[in-house]
Amino acid sequence: MTRRLSRETLIKWAPLLVLLALVIFFTALNPTFFSLRNFARIAIASAPALMVAVGVTFIIVMGSIDLSMEGTISLTAVAFAFIFAQFGGSLGGMGWIAIPLVLVLGGAIGLLNGIVHVKLRIPSFMASLAMGFVGTGAAILLTGGDIVKVSDAAFRGLLTVRWLGFPLMVYIAAFFLFVAWFIQTHTTLGRNFYAVGGGEDLAHASGLNVTRVRVTGFALAGVFYAIAAILVVARIGQAESVTGSNFMFVSITSVVVGGVALWGGIGGVWNALVGVLIVGVIDNGMVVIGLPDFVQDGVLGLLVIVAVVLSTDRKMVSFVK
Amino acid sequence: MDIQRLKPHLPWITLVVLVAIVGFTDPGFLRPSNLLGLAGDIVPLFIMALGLTFAIYIGGIDLSAQSMANMVTVIASVYLASMGAWVAVFCVAAGFLLGMLSGYVTTRLFVPSFISTLAIGGVAFSIAQWLSGQRALNMDAVQRNETFGWMIGRTWGVPHELLIAAVLVAICLFIERRTTLGRALKAVGAGELAAAASGLNVARYKILAFAISGALAAIAGLLFAVKLSGGAPTIANGFLLPAIVAVLVGGTPLTGGVGGVVNTVVGTLIVAVIRASMLYFEIDATRQQMVFGIVLIVAIALTIDRAKLRTVK
Amino acid sequence: MYQLKAVDKKFPGVHALKAIDFHVERGEIVGLVGENGAGKSTLMKVIYGAYQPDGGQVLIKGVPVRFANPRQAMEKGIGMVFQEQSLIPNLTVMENIFLGYEQQFVRFGVVDWKAMARAAKAQLAKVKLDIDPGMVTSKLSFAQRQLVELAKVLTLEERVKGDLVILLDEPTSVLSKEEVQLLFKLVRELTTRASFIFVSHRMDEVMDLSDRIYVMKDGAVVDVVARGGATAEAIQHKMVGRNVDKQYYREHLQAPYDASKVLVEMDRVGLPGRIQDISLKLHAGEVLCLVGTEGSGREAILRTIYGMLSATTGQLRIKGEDAAGYSPRHAVAHGVGYVPRERKVEGIVAGMNVYENMTLSQMKNHSRGGVLRVAEERALARDWIKKLSIKAHSEFADCGNLSGGNQQKVVLAKWRSGGSDIMLLDHPTRGLDIGAKEDVYDMIRAMSAAGVGIVLVADTLEEAIGLSHTIIVVKDGRIQKQFACEPGAKPTPYDLLHYMI
Repeated sequence: MTRRLSRETLIKWAPLLVLLALVIFFTALNPTFFSLRNFARIAIASAPALMVAVGVTFIIVMGSIDLSMEGTISLTAVAFAFIFAQFGGSLGGMGWIAIPLVLVLGGAIGLLNGIVHVKLRIPSFMASLAMGFVGTGAAILLTGGDIVKVSDAAFRGLLTVRWLGFPLMVYIAAFFLFVAWFIQTHTTLGRNFYAVGGGEDLAHASGLNVTRVRVTGFALAGVFYAIAAILVVARIGQAESVTGSNFMFVSITSVVVGGVALWGGIGGVWNALVGVLIVGVIDNGMVVIGLPDFVQDGVLGLLVIVAVVLSTDRKMVSFVK
Repeated sequence: MDIQRLKPHLPWITLVVLVAIVGFTDPGFLRPSNLLGLAGDIVPLFIMALGLTFAIYIGGIDLSAQSMANMVTVIASVYLASMGAWVAVFCVAAGFLLGMLSGYVTTRLFVPSFISTLAIGGVAFSIAQWLSGQRALNMDAVQRNETFGWMIGRTWGVPHELLIAAVLVAICLFIERRTTLGRALKAVGAGELAAAASGLNVARYKILAFAISGALAAIAGLLFAVKLSGGAPTIANGFLLPAIVAVLVGGTPLTGGVGGVVNTVVGTLIVAVIRASMLYFEIDATRQQMVFGIVLIVAIALTIDRAKLRTVK
Repeated sequence: MYQLKAVDKKFPGVHALKAIDFHVERGEIVGLVGENGAGKSTLMKVIYGAYQPDGGQVLIKGVPVRFANPRQAMEKGIGMVFQEQSLIPNLTVMENIFLGYEQQFVRFGVVDWKAMARAAKAQLAKVKLDIDPGMVTSKLSFAQRQLVELAKVLTLEERVKGDLVILLDEPTSVLSKEEVQLLFKLVRELTTRASFIFVSHRMDEVMDLSDRIYVMKDGAVVDVVARGGATAEAIQHKMVGRNVDKQYYREHLQAPYDASKVLVEMDRVGLPGRIQDISLKLHAGEVLCLVGTEGSGREAILRTIYGMLSATTGQLRIKGEDAAGYSPRHAVAHGVGYVPRERKVEGIVAGMNVYENMTLSQMKNHSRGGVLRVAEERALARDWIKKLSIKAHSEFADCGNLSGGNQQKVVLAKWRSGGSDIMLLDHPTRGLDIGAKEDVYDMIRAMSAAGVGIVLVADTLEEAIGLSHTIIVVKDGRIQKQFACEPGAKPTPYDLLHYMI
């Protein structure tokens, strides 16, 4: 009992302490790290990753995993660019229609993902990995391997228009983080994620429609991936079939490092935020103190293992595949 | 016909049917030289799939195989000049050790294998980037031909890659069928708890399975580097998906315990034929990934043993 | 009010419920007692809708009903308070209480937490529990969780028209005496709201609480006792009383063991929370039976000897050697064999054939440098298939497809062929039909005659008494009493029960 509590406390606060320590560490090595300009840089880099992380957080809370984000982001990003161009290529005109359409598309991909996982009874990591490949394939198909530019000034305003030093896209990400928090704490769906993650059999025995909760969770994650895709396009001004690359590793790392237990039921969107910031600060900090950026993948890989080990209650797990 | 009894035979039936269809529409496909060439080209992928077979056979997965191969292409390119033929040993040892590390993290630290191998893959990717300086590298052509030229020649029209593959298959088959290791891996895959209750050191065998997977991924990377005469941190990207597909369509389910090396041979040939047929039917190469993704889902759904999954997460 | 008429339930090879007649009146507390395997849990599952009866009728107020799942039973007012607690630990108390029924608190898609807290508070008041409904469940004590569980079931009151029937499955097993008294007081008060079916193996508690007691044995109701209608002893006799055929357990084959040769010695072995102060000796040729209720520590003792659990105090010696820090691998190397209760999960590897299973624990004996001598393995398997008359088409038969009895023979052959002379048998006859059980008894006698020491956890008390040289009764992780069981002078089941519960 006490062990459990102390573990919970640790999971709750350790990530935040790590984040603070990192900030202090990098600031000590290079004071320019601690500046509004640099924080804005971290925020811009982290905004899309945050949306992905928030999406996958819901899935991990359920005790499942979603590895489809790369494919989903690539496909929705490319689809956004095309639809945006189709409707005049400007936010000022009819281009805005692309946004809701792409969100629906993301949700649909997630829905399909969930259905494949639940109805065919395939473990989620494999079902979603395969769906991710399909998504990337579809993105290649649409673009033929080309890059699609999105240069509408109004749309790029998400990056260029700043308010208190931070560009608009950061506020948008913050807004959707708030939405995710609201879903997590104030809706039946959000709470049901925790019920499924805490004890699927028990939830089922209590009369919860676990299948529906799972499928809805994947659809919701898909919507967040689509938001991430739009933010990425806004940031780099283009979409292609590799737009989603590396988001899988970064987002899973963030969520796990932030303290969302891989076994489900523990953690939430705030953990995702802290995790994304930890990863963002490490990325940025390494550049600021002059370390080559390729060390990141290795460091993050090790960090993930440490985080999973810390968050695992060994007494509960008999064996692991 | 009972579907359960048909199931073990589905892979080779699929293969025969696919070959027949493609051969019927394009008689040129069945020319021995074409078939040999086709088979030779897929060998690096096959070797990786062979390694993955071990990880999947025990009910795990190795998502680091691709990064491992990437890393090895870089190592081989960088150290060929200084180490000569010994670089091959170095590469395989590196793969083996990183695989062991994945296995250790999975079994001793209770991190699910898809996460541990993903993380170790990240480490391998970092090493590759660090060694290569994030550039594509070239091997010295003369030295390559001297040391590893034998890997890629042809004798009486038979590509040497095929011979390498045959030797590896023989070794793996021997391990699977005739050694205590193979038997133990089967027991772990089919019934881990029973294996443990029989007094087997389950953790050690699982670690070995991941190590073998890593070593074979390294051999795949080495062969690939020799073929391309160079290496880069992302050069083998795109291998992982077809390699997993090869294992699964061959009939080794994600839940482990059945299937094995021979199944992966058949599975890889299916992948090769699908690839070739996409070219013949003028399906754009860019659609391959989509096709394989869908094939993957179908293959998992058909092979997976749902009785072993209490809840599907 | 609630009634079962001639309810029948069959499983492959087992007639679990035989024409059960059962009824509960409004406001009544009905006890249900029986040995392990008497059919109590099957009956409960039929009542709360997890199983569908094969024959007979379920009537509520005289109207026949049929439940496809527990939820349908709940909608007719039948709730279950599970022994293994069914609350989800990471949710708050109120979320657990209303899990699956949150919709009543949702306004425009938003959960009204305050309303839910108020409603939860009202439910908790029914069970006199004054806690913050927003608390995370994992922070509650066990007794508190039990009450929350009860409160959760009592929400049926508002949801369902008609009367409630609440099943309590071993609700007292982990409660202290005071907590039990509080629970009983509460249950008595709650009879104004619901009827209860109370299942427990603590006879005094059942007698204390119940208005009537159903006594089950071998899947049938053997008696219904009204309050004060019988003594605890009389009820216990009804639970276990049966004419034991001495031949059945091969008592005439029971030979004295070799007291000079100690195979396993436990000296004040303890494992916090599982067993304490266990001291025993297993001799060559001895059948030593551990008797106790579920969770009394029998399995923990077996697993400690096998090295799957490691003792924190005391000393364990196997064949004179200190076995501290042994893993199963070491135990096997010292001649220990383990026949687990979950035959299909831990006993055999389904998907592997007979010879692969038989040599799994002793591959070293059939290999050199890691290379197996398969021909030798096959010969060994053929030999044992003949010896134990295992029904398999050949040594290539998949063990997963063998019948339970034959699977068990393969498991026994695995250890015997490897020369194990300390056998740990955990419910070796569970789920076997009579013929297969007799085969197992024969094998136990044969092993005993060959000088093998056997630690047995038997399926029934008769089995334990019939087979053993020595019986050790375990309760709450401690040894209560040791019985010598010479043929003709064996203790009765009642003698044992007295120390078990």
